[in-house]
Amino acid sequence: MKKVRFFFAMLSARFLLYVLKLLGRNATFLPGKIALKIDKDFLGELTPPKTVIAVTGTNGKTTVSNLLNSILLKNNYTVTNNSLGSNVQAGVATALLADSTFTGKAKKEIAVLEVDERSSLRIYPYIKPDYLICNNIMRDSLARNAHTEFISYIINKSVPSTTKVILNADDLVCASLAPDNCERVYFGLGIDTQHEEAPSYLQDIVYCPDCGASLTPEYIRYSHIGRLHCSNCSFSSPEPDFVITQIDRENNAFTLQHHGKSEQYNLINDNIVNLYNFCGVIALLTTIGLSYEQISSAFESTKIVKTRYDKLSAGKLTITMQLSKGQNPTACARCFSYVAKLPGKNKAIIFVGDDFEASESPCWFFDSNYSYLNDASINQIIFTGPRSKDQYLRAQIAGIDTDKIRISCDSKSGADILDIEKSMDIYVLYGPYMVKEANIVKQKLIQLGNEESVS
Amino acid sequence: MIIEILFQEVCGLYGDSQNPTYLQATLPDAQFIFTKLTDTPYFFDHDPDMIYIGCMSERTQRRVIEKLRPMKERLLELIDKGIPFLATGNAGEIFAKHITYVSENIKIDGLGIFDLTVNTDYFHRYNAMVLGEFENLKIVGFRSQFSFLYGDNSDSYFLRCIRGEGINTKSMLEGMRKNNLICTQLLGPILPLNPLFCEYFIGLAGKTVQAAYRESAMQAYTQRLEEFTNPKIPFKHD
Repeated sequence: MKKVRFFFAMLSARFLLYVLKLLGRNATFLPGKIALKIDKDFLGELTPPKTVIAVTGTNGKTTVSNLLNSILLKNNYTVTNNSLGSNVQAGVATALLADSTFTGKAKKEIAVLEVDERSSLRIYPYIKPDYLICNNIMRDSLARNAHTEFISYIINKSVPSTTKVILNADDLVCASLAPDNCERVYFGLGIDTQHEEAPSYLQDIVYCPDCGASLTPEYIRYSHIGRLHCSNCSFSSPEPDFVITQIDRENNAFTLQHHGKSEQYNLINDNIVNLYNFCGVIALLTTIGLSYEQISSAFESTKIVKTRYDKLSAGKLTITMQLSKGQNPTACARCFSYVAKLPGKNKAIIFVGDDFEASESPCWFFDSNYSYLNDASINQIIFTGPRSKDQYLRAQIAGIDTDKIRISCDSKSGADILDIEKSMDIYVLYGPYMVKEANIVKQKLIQLGNEESVS
Repeated sequence: MIIEILFQEVCGLYGDSQNPTYLQATLPDAQFIFTKLTDTPYFFDHDPDMIYIGCMSERTQRRVIEKLRPMKERLLELIDKGIPFLATGNAGEIFAKHITYVSENIKIDGLGIFDLTVNTDYFHRYNAMVLGEFENLKIVGFRSQFSFLYGDNSDSYFLRCIRGEGINTKSMLEGMRKNNLICTQLLGPILPLNPLFCEYFIGLAGKTVQAAYRESAMQAYTQRLEEFTNPKIPFKHD
C-alpha cells in the first residue's frame, strides 16, 4: 500500500505541473523536485511503463533519446520521455509523474529516459531500466564528471544486473561497462573513416584495465574511439553485433549489418558521432523487437532537432549552426574536426562563448584539441564571451595563425566582427545554455548576408 | 636543457597536458623526455634539469606510487640537489604519507616525502578557485578534486591563499614545497595561465626566458587577476 506521503507528493507535483503549464513554462524539473522533496522514495513508488529504456553516456544522449522517441511515436507506441527537459533525478520524476495516474501507474507503454551519468545512483535503484544504451564514455566537464574511471564506477555501481546493455564496441571504456550484465549487445562502425592519431593524453584508456599492459590500437578514429587490444592478455574491443558497413553520401543512405542481414537506412547526418548515434538507436530498437520496416520508414522522416544543428542560406552566405557542448573537451574537438574536414575553403568559425564561464575553469579549452582548427580551410576564427582571451591563448598554443583570430568579450557580437568579404561559409558553435545568444548571432548573419546580396 | 615529463599519457587530465606544451614553446631548444608509465624514468640514472607530472585518475595514482616507490631515495636525492619538479592537481599527493580512498575502501602508503595524509572521496567533488601569493607573485588557478590533504604544511606550503582555500577547507596554505619540488592542487594549464610563475619556475633551472606568447598570456592573466580580486565572484562552485 502506498504511503500518504506519496499521494501528497503526487498531488503537489501535479498541481505545480498544471500551474507551470498554464504559465507557459516547460515544467520539466520543478514538479519532480517538489515530489522528491516531499517523498524521497517517490520514484520507487511509481509503477513505470512496461518497458524502460535508459539512455546514458557522455555525448549523444539527447540525440539518441530524441531519435528513439520520434521513431517509437511514429510506430504508434505511447512514450514517456524527458528529452526536452532535465536528465537528473527530478527531471526523470517529472516526466514519469506527468504520464502517470494519481496512484502512480504509468499511462504509457515505453519510457525513454535520458539519464545523466552521475544521476545513475539516484535513479536506477528506483527505476530499473530494461535496456540501457550507452554511446560513449569520454572526458566531460572536469568539475562535474572528473574522469572516465569515475563515471564508469558510478554507472557500474548503479545499473541493475538484469538490465540488457547496448554498448558502443568501438569505445573500450563504454564497452567495459556493467561487466556483470550478461545480456550485452554491441554496435560499431565498420566503415573506412579517416583515422586520426590522437595524442595519448587525449585518450581515456591507454593501459589494459585487467593487466596494466599497453593497449595496441588497430586503429583510432578519434580520442580512444577505435579498435584496441591488450598487448599482453585477451582484453580487446568486442566484436559489434550491429555494424554500419557503408556510407553512400550521394544517395543519402547507409548500410547496416546484423545477424547476417544487410539493411539500408536514410542518412540523416554524416557526422561520425551521429553515425554511432544511429547505429546504437537501430541496435536498441531491433533488440526490443521493432522490424526493419518500422525503423527504416521512421528514419526517412526523422531529423536532428534544429537547436542542435541547422543549416541555412542568406544571400551568398551559408550559415551552419552547430551545438558544441561547452565544458566538454571531446564534444568540442569533434565539432572542430567535423567543420575542418567538411569540403570548402575560407570557412569562418564563430564561438558563442558561455557567459557563465566568468568564474568557471577554462581548463577544458586546454584539454580540447584546438589543433583541428589549425586547418587551411578555416580563414577566420572568432572567439566571443568573457573567456575569449583564454581561447586566443589556447589557439596560439595550438599553432593557429593569430591573423585569423578576432576576439570580443560580448557573446552576441560574433557577426559584428566577422569580415564577410573573406568568408562565405560560416559555422556558429554554441553551448546548450547559449541558444538564445546564438540565435541573435544567426539573425545578424542572415541580415548581413541578405544586405550583401542586395548591394 | 633536459626536461622530463612523467607519464603524460595518463597524467595529463584537465588540460595539464598543455603545461609541457607551453614549456616546449617557451624553451624551443630544450630536450623533452616523455616517460611512459611502462618505462624507467630518465631521472632514475640521470639528472634532468626539470621534471613535471600532471593530474591523473585515482587508479593511475596508485600505479604511479607503486612505480615510484622503489625510486624514493633517488627522488629525495634530486630534491636535495634542487632540481625543479612541478606536480599539479592530485599528482603531488603521491608524496604524502598515505592516501585513503574512502569510496573504494582502499588505504595505501604514499612516498612519505611530506608528513601529510590524503582523503579521497568520490562522492564529494570540490570545485574552487584560488588566488594565492608565492614569493611576491600572484598565482591564479582552479581546483577540481575528490581529495584533501591533512596535516601541518605551515613550513612547507606553496601558496598563501588570498582567496580560496589551502590543502583543506580549514587551511589557507595551499600545496607543498620542499626545495624546488613544488606540489599544487591547482590543476590544468597553470603555466600558460600564470606566465610570470612559468618564468620563475624555469628560472629555478638557471634559465632566464620570457614565457611563450607572453603578450596574450599576460592579457589573459591580468583579466583573471582582476576577476579573482572581485569580491562578487564566488570562489567555490558546483
